[in-house]
Amino acid sequence: MSRTRQLIDALREQLGGSAPEPPPPPLPRVPEPPVRVFPRRSEGTRYARETAAHTTAVLGIGQVGTRYATDVVLQFQAELAVAHEAVGTELPEDWPAQNGLLGLRSRVSNHREFLLRPDLGRLLDEPSLALLKKEARHGVDVQPILADGLSAVACMQSGLALLESFTKACQARGLTVGIPVCARYARVWLEDEIGQTVGAKVAAILLGERPGLGTGDGLSAYLVYNPKVGNTDGDRNMMSNIHPRGTPPAVAGDRLAVLARAMVDQKRSGVALDLSRLTAELGEAASRHPRAPQVRVRLLEVEK
Amino acid sequence: MHLAATIRNVVHRFDSVREVLARANPPKSGDDLAGISARSAVERVAARAVLANLTLHELRQHPVVPYEKDELTRMVEHTLDEGAFKAVSHLTVGQFREWLLESETDGLKIRSVSAGLTPEMAAAVCKLMSNMDLMTVASKCQVVVRANNTLGLPGRLSSRVQPNHPTDDVQGILYSMREGLSYGCGDAVIGVNPSTDTAESTAEILTAIDKVLKKNDCPTQHCVLSHVTVQMRALDLGCPMDLMFQSLAGSEAANKAFGISLSLMDEAWEKMKEKGTARGPNSMYFETGQGSALSSAAHHGADQVTLEARAYGFARRYKPFLVNTVVGFIGPEYLEDGPQITRAGLEDHFMGKLLGLPMGCDACFTYHARMSQDELESLKVLLGAAGCTYLMSLPVGDDIMLNYQSTSYHDIPSVRRLLNKRPTPEFDAWMVERGLWDYEQNVPGPAFGRPEAILPT
Repeated sequence: MSRTRQLIDALREQLGGSAPEPPPPPLPRVPEPPVRVFPRRSEGTRYARETAAHTTAVLGIGQVGTRYATDVVLQFQAELAVAHEAVGTELPEDWPAQNGLLGLRSRVSNHREFLLRPDLGRLLDEPSLALLKKEARHGVDVQPILADGLSAVACMQSGLALLESFTKACQARGLTVGIPVCARYARVWLEDEIGQTVGAKVAAILLGERPGLGTGDGLSAYLVYNPKVGNTDGDRNMMSNIHPRGTPPAVAGDRLAVLARAMVDQKRSGVALDLSRLTAELGEAASRHPRAPQVRVRLLEVEK
Repeated sequence: MHLAATIRNVVHRFDSVREVLARANPPKSGDDLAGISARSAVERVAARAVLANLTLHELRQHPVVPYEKDELTRMVEHTLDEGAFKAVSHLTVGQFREWLLESETDGLKIRSVSAGLTPEMAAAVCKLMSNMDLMTVASKCQVVVRANNTLGLPGRLSSRVQPNHPTDDVQGILYSMREGLSYGCGDAVIGVNPSTDTAESTAEILTAIDKVLKKNDCPTQHCVLSHVTVQMRALDLGCPMDLMFQSLAGSEAANKAFGISLSLMDEAWEKMKEKGTARGPNSMYFETGQGSALSSAAHHGADQVTLEARAYGFARRYKPFLVNTVVGFIGPEYLEDGPQITRAGLEDHFMGKLLGLPMGCDACFTYHARMSQDELESLKVLLGAAGCTYLMSLPVGDDIMLNYQSTSYHDIPSVRRLLNKRPTPEFDAWMVERGLWDYEQNVPGPAFGRPEAILPT
């Protein structure tokens, strides 16, 4: 036997031969671990309860070793799944027609392309452009546009309610409103081409916003005066977090109509729009980057 | 210059060094969006072969944004360390890759050539490296910086606590920060992205954080990530500020879209040297990310990896304490999925380290990118193994203001334990004294995960 082989054989013996590990000792019954829950207002640690008045960050959740407790993991996964589902859901092609809306589509041809090509989501495809020219009411004050954006779930859940409250509130303020349209695979800037095509003074797109953890049902609204291709974000005013736990659609519709009225009166929008005398009516929408208060809800309950 | 390679009798020709760099890039949705990526997998390899045969000297002569059009290109050209450049200028990119990977090439040797490299050289060699190549070289690079803490020593992994709040509720920010500290996070910085970009708000948040850190004798740095001009006004108000922050991009035009320029950053740095409150000498904090130049149509036909390297060329002028790429934040139109985000994180870390920066990474995704939580956790371990200087940390990784998923307070001690890493020596000592960690058994101490143990003011 070579010297190397002898060395390796000796090493094997030294490492325990055919029993590389001793058998494990018997374990007494493992005690049940303490309850560690994803915080709700009524339970959780004192720290979790204290913090809930100031932040929706998930605090006071404790740890197992250095990792999460099982209940925290499951709640986290539920929040993640809700967000991913919101992004992954597509608005059915016939949904606009079924709900009495003129169905339009951007130049995007499938969901993956929608995520990868924001430029195509900002322009209408040719049949939609022709349809819009033919069917639209031209020269109105406000052209409302419902759209999927990054959450078709939000669009289908509270889109119609927001569209209705916004339309009524605009009419109550003496504004003429275009026929209701609904665009699929739409990005915010699509409102420029639609508004320009129908010759509206103000274009208002109401669309599903990019989900956060545990959300996915929020709508945002972007309004622009003198809509035309080439406008930028600085030309727009927006309102986010439109959902039952943020700003409810009925309240949001009213505030957006106040914005639209101010745009028509002042003949401008975006950074140039003066909202200083409307703060009471507008609530959070008075700021150019408004944020409604949020509430974190526990998504997951197991029936016993 | 002849830029062509043949694969199976098909000749692949390229018009410029910029085009070779772009076509040599691994697949990125942002390069597709810009219309500059390789048109096939075979063409990509041909571009890499051409790139491997260019010398570093040739790369210096062909910056991706022309000298006449861009102040960053001019600054890099004028400030390059000629002695360091001469040591490697004759090597081809392929030979340079081999030199970096050689066992005899240690961190000290890499540090000796670092100041002689242009960003385009770092980007070029990056394109010839696999993920494990990138990790192998990056782990050799050692970049040590100091403010109140000493960052980047071997065997260390630091973290930023990012206690953001959608309405800047100061109590909410402090609650989140105390929880983070109790998990041993925050030795790189306590860094808040404010929702209100005003000097008063910046000063208020910094003052509140400063009080809690002092109350607990906690050795770290604070920073509020408002625009640099806002922070300069906050300094004039007389608030504490350990680190000054700004987002940087890789071309003059892209930086203009961020509202900054070389002269503005020079002015900000001077002000920070005069009024910054950390002990120094390093006092600046920068964030970057692939795709930022294209998003403001300021990419000049260059690919997002090369432009990212150019942002590092800008950053190194200011001897920063922290630089991190926010790798998955920009969205799927620039980095589509888990493999692209993972690759970009390892590329950015490598290029930053090679150029001499204390490089960290915000390993993250937005909820419309196709990356799973498991893939994100894997990336944090890969970065730790590559010697990444610091990661972020948030409650369950959830940024409640910016709505994206990053590293959690629980992830930092987990990665440290997996890889036998520790926080900065100063913070380490503080953690032991506060009962946050037991280093004899390398397990959590009695105060670990108990935010009540970190005193409010």
